[in-house]
Amino acid sequence: MENNTAQAAVAAGAQRKTSRLGTFARKLKQQRVLVFMSIPFVIWLFIFKYVPIWGWTIAFQDFKPALGFWDQTWIGFDHFKFLFGDERFLRVLRNTLVMSGINLVFGFLTAITLALLLNEIRRVAFKRVVQTVSYLPHFISWVVAASIIQTTLSPDGIINQVLVWLGFIDKGNEILFLGIPHQFWTIFGASSIWKDLGWNTIVYLAAMTTIDPAQYEAAEIDGAGRFKKMFYITLPGIKAVVIVLLIMNIGYLMESGFEPQYLLGNGLNVDYSENIDIFVLKYGINQSNFSLSIAAGMFKTVVSFILLFAANNLAKRMGESRLF
Amino acid sequence: MASGSVKAAKRYKIKKSTGDHIFDICNYTFMILLMIVTLYPFLNVLAVSFNQAQDTIKGGIYLVPRIWTLDNYAYIFREATIFHASFISVLRTVVGTVLTVFCSAMVAYTLTKQEYVLRKFVTIAFILTMYFNGGLIPTFLLMRDLNLIGSFWVYIWPGLIGVFNLIIIRSFIEGLPESILESGKIDGAGEFRTFVSIVLPLTTPVLATVALFSGVFQWNQWFDVFLYNSSDIDLSTLQYELQKILQNSNTTNSSGSISGMISGMSGAQSSVTPLSVRATMTIVASVPIIMVYPFLQKYFVKGMMVGGVKG
Amino acid sequence: MKKRLLLGLTAALLVSVVTACSGNTNKPAATGSTNDGSSTPTSTTQEKVTYTIYNGVAGTKDINTNETTIGKMLEDQTGVNFKLEFLVGDLNTKIGTMIASGKYPEVLIPDAAMEEVLNAGAFIELDKLIEEHGPNIKRVYGPYLDQMRDKDGKLYILPIAVQVGDYVPDPEPGAAFWIQRRVLEEAGFPKVKTLDQYIELITNYAEKHKDENLTGMVSLTHDWRFFATANPPMHLMGYPNEGNVMVDLNSHEAKTYAATDATYKWLKTLNELNAKGLFDKSSFVDNYDQYIAKLTSHKVLGFFDYRWQVQNGLNVLTDAARKDPSLDAYNYFPLPVTFDEQTPDAYIDPQGGLVTNRGIGITVSAKDPVRIIKYFDNLLTEENQTLTSWGIQGETYEVDDNGRYYRTAEQIAKIDEAFNEKFGFKQYGWNWPSYNANSTLANGNAKAVLYQPEVFQMRLTDSDKRFLDKYGAKTYSEMFAEPVYRPWYPAWGFAKEQNSPEQMWETSKDEITKKHYPKLVLGAPDKFEANWEEYLKDFNKLDTAGYEKWTTEQVKIRVEDAK
Repeated sequence: MENNTAQAAVAAGAQRKTSRLGTFARKLKQQRVLVFMSIPFVIWLFIFKYVPIWGWTIAFQDFKPALGFWDQTWIGFDHFKFLFGDERFLRVLRNTLVMSGINLVFGFLTAITLALLLNEIRRVAFKRVVQTVSYLPHFISWVVAASIIQTTLSPDGIINQVLVWLGFIDKGNEILFLGIPHQFWTIFGASSIWKDLGWNTIVYLAAMTTIDPAQYEAAEIDGAGRFKKMFYITLPGIKAVVIVLLIMNIGYLMESGFEPQYLLGNGLNVDYSENIDIFVLKYGINQSNFSLSIAAGMFKTVVSFILLFAANNLAKRMGESRLF
Repeated sequence: MASGSVKAAKRYKIKKSTGDHIFDICNYTFMILLMIVTLYPFLNVLAVSFNQAQDTIKGGIYLVPRIWTLDNYAYIFREATIFHASFISVLRTVVGTVLTVFCSAMVAYTLTKQEYVLRKFVTIAFILTMYFNGGLIPTFLLMRDLNLIGSFWVYIWPGLIGVFNLIIIRSFIEGLPESILESGKIDGAGEFRTFVSIVLPLTTPVLATVALFSGVFQWNQWFDVFLYNSSDIDLSTLQYELQKILQNSNTTNSSGSISGMISGMSGAQSSVTPLSVRATMTIVASVPIIMVYPFLQKYFVKGMMVGGVKG
Repeated sequence: MKKRLLLGLTAALLVSVVTACSGNTNKPAATGSTNDGSSTPTSTTQEKVTYTIYNGVAGTKDINTNETTIGKMLEDQTGVNFKLEFLVGDLNTKIGTMIASGKYPEVLIPDAAMEEVLNAGAFIELDKLIEEHGPNIKRVYGPYLDQMRDKDGKLYILPIAVQVGDYVPDPEPGAAFWIQRRVLEEAGFPKVKTLDQYIELITNYAEKHKDENLTGMVSLTHDWRFFATANPPMHLMGYPNEGNVMVDLNSHEAKTYAATDATYKWLKTLNELNAKGLFDKSSFVDNYDQYIAKLTSHKVLGFFDYRWQVQNGLNVLTDAARKDPSLDAYNYFPLPVTFDEQTPDAYIDPQGGLVTNRGIGITVSAKDPVRIIKYFDNLLTEENQTLTSWGIQGETYEVDDNGRYYRTAEQIAKIDEAFNEKFGFKQYGWNWPSYNANSTLANGNAKAVLYQPEVFQMRLTDSDKRFLDKYGAKTYSEMFAEPVYRPWYPAWGFAKEQNSPEQMWETSKDEITKKHYPKLVLGAPDKFEANWEEYLKDFNKLDTAGYEKWTTEQVKIRVEDAK
């Protein structure tokens, strides 16, 4: 297959190349307005995002910020070896993936559900109030939020009090939620959803505004009920946005956040709370080892790219809208 | 549009079945529960911010302050720098948001043009940047070499286009009916004019969304101030000044005890604690930006798009 | 056109990046020459200048020193004003960017990032400057300066504070096993010396007052403050806080204690306490704020901690007791607890050596290092050392007929936090070349106001005095053993190379103990042995012998230096 195309290309020879280039140039000229509208920003992108990539070389050096590029000691893959060689690596990788997976799946489901439910509220004033209130926790920093979560989950916190009151547990046997290792993922997931649920719905609500009300009216005439309209009009109406967001977020699976794990983590739940970022913080940043954090960043980028292209291809094959 | 929804609402009333009723009751109950859960942290922080700092240490402040005081706010606002810093915060939020919304939308529009020869290249070039960065020091050196350190524009340039925003806008424009965009063409409008006079107005809901995202981002940023402009008080922002105040209250309470020891200050007289300052600064920093929401909200509660089609 | 512009731009960028990086590689050899112009005529000294001091520790708000009373007086003397800038975010990030760009403030206090800054060649050599312009620096720092020398034998940093004159001990211990006063009162003020006695006292009280739902002990474990739970074995063995090691007074051998019998006994004690329901389980999940809240809740009978960590909570209790003396029962009292009666405790920080991994230096960016060094020198005069701690006679302190300094009740009341900031006590109290808190002024008064016995007595409440009286003491420190001179103290302050085996050992040790201690304490008592074995299995993976060897070497270097 590859051979064939190669041969074909050789056979076609140079003339086709020039003519292709010619068409390209002609088209480019035709589309010069579009070019002017986008290329300056590509230049911006190149300078601000691509130029600093030279910093990746730091991952292969025993980096000392005071030294010039040529004076650094090159040490090859030592930092990668340290990262992958540590017995904890698999565990922190697992924790990273599970927690970002939780965020991805539940974050999406809850946000879309809430957006759908909000869309069903006919009282505009009430709807606006709910929306405004639901996005408030987003503005509270994780430090403050974590402290509220810790208080709520503590043995004398409200959750334990309710459980005692309901008779599920006896007084004196209150549950130390943050001390149960495997419960950390639940707590993490619930906290993340609680904090960003309202915020995450905004984009879906905006997407719903593009749905033509005439569609609903037509459906009603056909006798469609509420759920039918939800499933056959509203959801398809926001599908494109959902899929594009989903693909983007799959690319972010290596990023599970840092603050909640750091703030809610402790010696008891460390086996479930420590993720790559925290590992890098302990052994890289806190020891002024910039190289290790860059090596970890590179690893994350590689995985992200693989996931991103895979997800995008999958979407393409399923005939859905895709990212690129 | 307005009349349409009224009509729809009316029809609802007529058709409302028991199932609908049950759904509504469940829905409203759920919403109220949701509000309780999401309002609580904010009320809690508010209560702490109005409670006397030394008393807060004892814990147990939930919804109402035990000992009312304005000392925490006085502590924050006694810093004269706060006001100028707030101005810079507003400025960077407004300038940054307007520029990023406009530029992102413009690029997004070109990327919806199937025939655009550079479409694939530009799209991928942008998307890839979401998943890597060169690291702190290379970025810092870049800003230095671009002469952005000690300049207001270091807040604006690096975030000129948010790729996430770009993609969202692109999806929306792609969702616009082809017919409208075509109608623009027939009038003989150029691409840029189509973008400004047709696409921009039609995408108001998503632009409002994106404006909110980048506005909040700009407002909350303090790391770039820390990196690039920390010694230039004229370019400091509200969030950064609040961070300073928080640090200050931290040291007053712990390591500062060394200096207290030497000068004979008894720690008991310090009126603030990090706990209270953190709560107060949460309120000071978030209330202004939260106030913006209701103004933007109307754009995504009611879409503009349909009006556009019909009108 | 655009493309060419772009290419040119990136090329220029890359070049400038590379050259910029290499720009500041040549070490102080080059900067030494700038000092040669140091013998500047005195006329320029009077011209007013402002320099920046960047402080790697978060501190007060950013301010010009001449906006404070002390700073203004010093400006009048020297013509120099300092703009103080304090760290807000992450230290390593800030220092990293400074080093990478080669641009520094004139004066830098790099705190924990000292090694990087030294390796970057950011500081200028001080020997010559001190020789020419620093008579007071020589007087104060004289013997200590050699300990601050870098690997190349040159001096780049001044230590922040050193011992001058007689050693004045802190009137309060730096750490202790604290106990609620009502427990002591009810038991008739017994002498408490051992951990067993301490636990027994608490257990008995809790049993007698079952209905009150009391907690025997809590322990602070949050984040980096975990040492409050990990350090007691060292203190119980009668050693001061040296971090991860106990250093033998005679052999100067440093031994870690995390896997020794001492730690075993300490954790077992907590485990038994927990089995009786008297240890607060949430100690291992609570954050610092929750911990402090518990100390002020009146429900906790005892805890171990360093005073500076719990000062806030103690202050709240003391304030409450001042208003309502009946609440004094809930205040805490420090006890010198060790494992056995024969072991003298070491809770009062001993007179030690110099902290060599912290300091202040003048950077290569300083245009006129002479004026800076002169400012520092001037700051170290007796008058200015008195000024920065005691202030102005008649305003912030008085002198009695015997020449003793004291403060009146009004003065004590007047000097609150706001006053401290305005006057400059806060800004000048720390982070400058100075006498340390345990120093004595030439006229015999304590350098630190709170260490002056007259001042300390004034701050005690009646109840404080009653309790002290029962134990036959005038200050809390009198109940504790006298500190022993340890020229290397504190061992935790030894400078470690970034990423060195020593630092890796500490990071890993922290991680292992944080993971295992909760299990050991909260686990069922019959599982304790098994859990301990499991902990040892993890701990033994570390190169502890290497760490001890390194620390011992460091101790011996300092012992030699002190001779």
